[in-house]
Amino acid sequence: LFPGVRQAQWLTKTKLVEGLPPAVQGIMDNPAHGLRELEERAKHAVSHARLWDTAEAAPRREQYCPVLFENLMHICRLMSGKYPSLTKRMLARNCRIAATWERESILLQVRGLSGILMNSMTPIPPVASKEEILATKEHVLETFYPIAPTIDLQEVNVYKELNDTGQCFGDGYPYSHPHTLFFLESANVRTDRFRPEQLRAKMLMFAFGNALAKAKALHGNDPKVLEQPVVVQSVGTDGQLFQFMVFQLNTTDLVSNDGVKNLVWIDSDQSLYEKAQCVPEVKKRVVTKPAGIFGFQPDTFKKFLALYLHGTV
Amino acid sequence: MAALGARRLLRPGRRWFSETVPGAPSPPASPLYPPVVASVTAKSKAAKSRRLQRFNQRVHAAATVEEKLRLYGKLQRPKYMVYPQTFALNADRWYRSFTKTVLVPGMPPRAVAAKPPVAAAGTTPEAGRAPEPGAEAPGAAEAPGAAHAPETPKTPEPAAGAAPYLDMGELRSLACDALLQESFYQNKKRPFLYRDQDHTPGPFLTQLVSTLAAFLSGRNPLLAASSLDLNPEVNYYWHHGEEVVVHGHRKGRVDPVRFQIDDNPHLQIRVPKQLPEVVPLESDLGDVPVIDHKPSKLPLFKKQFENKVFIGSKVADPCCYGHTQFHLLPDKLKRERFIRERLEDQIEVVYRSNGIASLFAWTAAQAMYQGFWNEADVTRPFVSQAVVTDGKYFAFFCYQLNTLALTAETIKNNPRKNICWGTDSKPLYDVVEDGKVKGFNDEVLFQLVRFLLNRPKEL
Repeated sequence: LFPGVRQAQWLTKTKLVEGLPPAVQGIMDNPAHGLRELEERAKHAVSHARLWDTAEAAPRREQYCPVLFENLMHICRLMSGKYPSLTKRMLARNCRIAATWERESILLQVRGLSGILMNSMTPIPPVASKEEILATKEHVLETFYPIAPTIDLQEVNVYKELNDTGQCFGDGYPYSHPHTLFFLESANVRTDRFRPEQLRAKMLMFAFGNALAKAKALHGNDPKVLEQPVVVQSVGTDGQLFQFMVFQLNTTDLVSNDGVKNLVWIDSDQSLYEKAQCVPEVKKRVVTKPAGIFGFQPDTFKKFLALYLHGTV
Repeated sequence: MAALGARRLLRPGRRWFSETVPGAPSPPASPLYPPVVASVTAKSKAAKSRRLQRFNQRVHAAATVEEKLRLYGKLQRPKYMVYPQTFALNADRWYRSFTKTVLVPGMPPRAVAAKPPVAAAGTTPEAGRAPEPGAEAPGAAEAPGAAHAPETPKTPEPAAGAAPYLDMGELRSLACDALLQESFYQNKKRPFLYRDQDHTPGPFLTQLVSTLAAFLSGRNPLLAASSLDLNPEVNYYWHHGEEVVVHGHRKGRVDPVRFQIDDNPHLQIRVPKQLPEVVPLESDLGDVPVIDHKPSKLPLFKKQFENKVFIGSKVADPCCYGHTQFHLLPDKLKRERFIRERLEDQIEVVYRSNGIASLFAWTAAQAMYQGFWNEADVTRPFVSQAVVTDGKYFAFFCYQLNTLALTAETIKNNPRKNICWGTDSKPLYDVVEDGKVKGFNDEVLFQLVRFLLNRPKEL
């Protein structure tokens, strides 16, 4: 998806809002959650993933990206000592997502392995108020005339219009609400990885797919404006830069171009640390940079944790 | 010589100088000649022992632990590769003799006070609840996926003082949910050939441990500061015994027998504080088996490569002590294979050898990270735990490392032995059918929870 997020916005009938929604910001700013003490642990987590995890000199991205993610998730999960309702979450790896919708007479479909999905028993409450949702009616979607919006999409003969996260999970699954999707760009070679813009677009498409499938499972297949909007979050990283996204599905009526739109809040390109020096840099027999993590930004970890706690706190 | 003779004749009578004759000649301030020691480079036994002493002094004098480890494993020679997960017959006897370990069946005795009272009811008893934080959703025990039918009578135990409860219903539902998700709810493709373990039991174990650790972290502050590794590497290199080199340019020389363990547990939990000792350092709880054959008869094969000592992360990591390891047995060692080949008694041997070898490697590597080695033996015992499973059957092991001195010289006067407590493998559940877990075994879950709650006495 080359023009990236803008194209994804048109395809999913979404309005973009910069920054994270106020509910998540509220969790971050709330000192009762003890986020300051976790900074030390987050720094250890980063050091472990980037410096200490291997018997060789420096771990490669394929190794440190998943390890960093696991370490951060471990710290987040340990918060359930304080908030017991956090144990009502379950991680599912390698789950396949499939969702179909029509967009101005073009049938679109999202399919594929969608990274790591975290499900919870309770849904996330809607983030935007009713006024904001109605206000999106006035918002006009950007078009890319003369480029057709389906550029760069693969045209495929679809024989079955599949529509489920139920592709992934059977009936009666207790953790039925998708909470957060995680995407790890861990390929060693830079060209195999998605660039940040493309990663954000991918996150948007998959979050939309999950939300749509859930909405159709809850409310049926007819296109309409949802009374209870479905909220799905998404985090993408390549081991150093983090992209945070909160997507709220307000309507499944995607054929027309007007009416209520969906909303997405994106916080892009948050770096968790500047540089991780595995071996001290020595110039002319003098150590210029000792080994360690430089430029650690605790705010990025706070956002990660806030997105994790969102919905149960 | 003539001058000496002349001085002798002169001395008795005359006093040339105003010198007080001392009772004994005054000792020289510094030795006149350097000490007479064996040569360093000669081809003799004395020279070899002098070289060994110089090497030991170098390692003792090393400034940092990394330097010590580097010097310890500097010389690369062919060494026996010891695999914790092995199909060799009676491997656990051999491994016990290599590592000087005593196997004690059953679990180590723990202080009764440390055992938390357990709520036996299937539903959450409102009355007998000690102050549990937050709002435990009352529907947890009745989660639709988990079908532990509440046949157990609702007997709320009286709150024993301030000891917090351990809600078995909650834990059971967490375990059942993890199991059902991996085996039933999530639609996965068919498992690859001979990769059954990666398909279902592997993810189940990861889910189970991470959710249980998160759940119990409120009760065990050590877990709250822990670090969870997925698929880490644990390596250890040591010498034990002596042999004569058989062929090659070094033929006929007496060499220590070198061993190396390279292990990949499925999961491990590392903590910043050490687990408390189970029995005192010098206790003797049994005998170490003595095997007269060469290790290659096990069968064990030699390889030569880098001598690694690694606990899962480098020395700089603050979480440098081990808490629990989780091992998943591969498809090659599944029970049906042994039953088919009529080797039923070897099933337990697989679990035991895995437990002993992996835990020895882990605890010994932890001890080396603290600066101990076979010349500087440990001053406090190192304790770690492990759970070996094949997805359904669980076996629990607890290991106490009392001594690292296993080389031929240091083992002579060393009365200490390492101790390993181990159980037999028991199933966690009988079968998973139709979204229900049948025959869930609470004992196994309780043992697992006790393992995770283990912590030093101060906390």
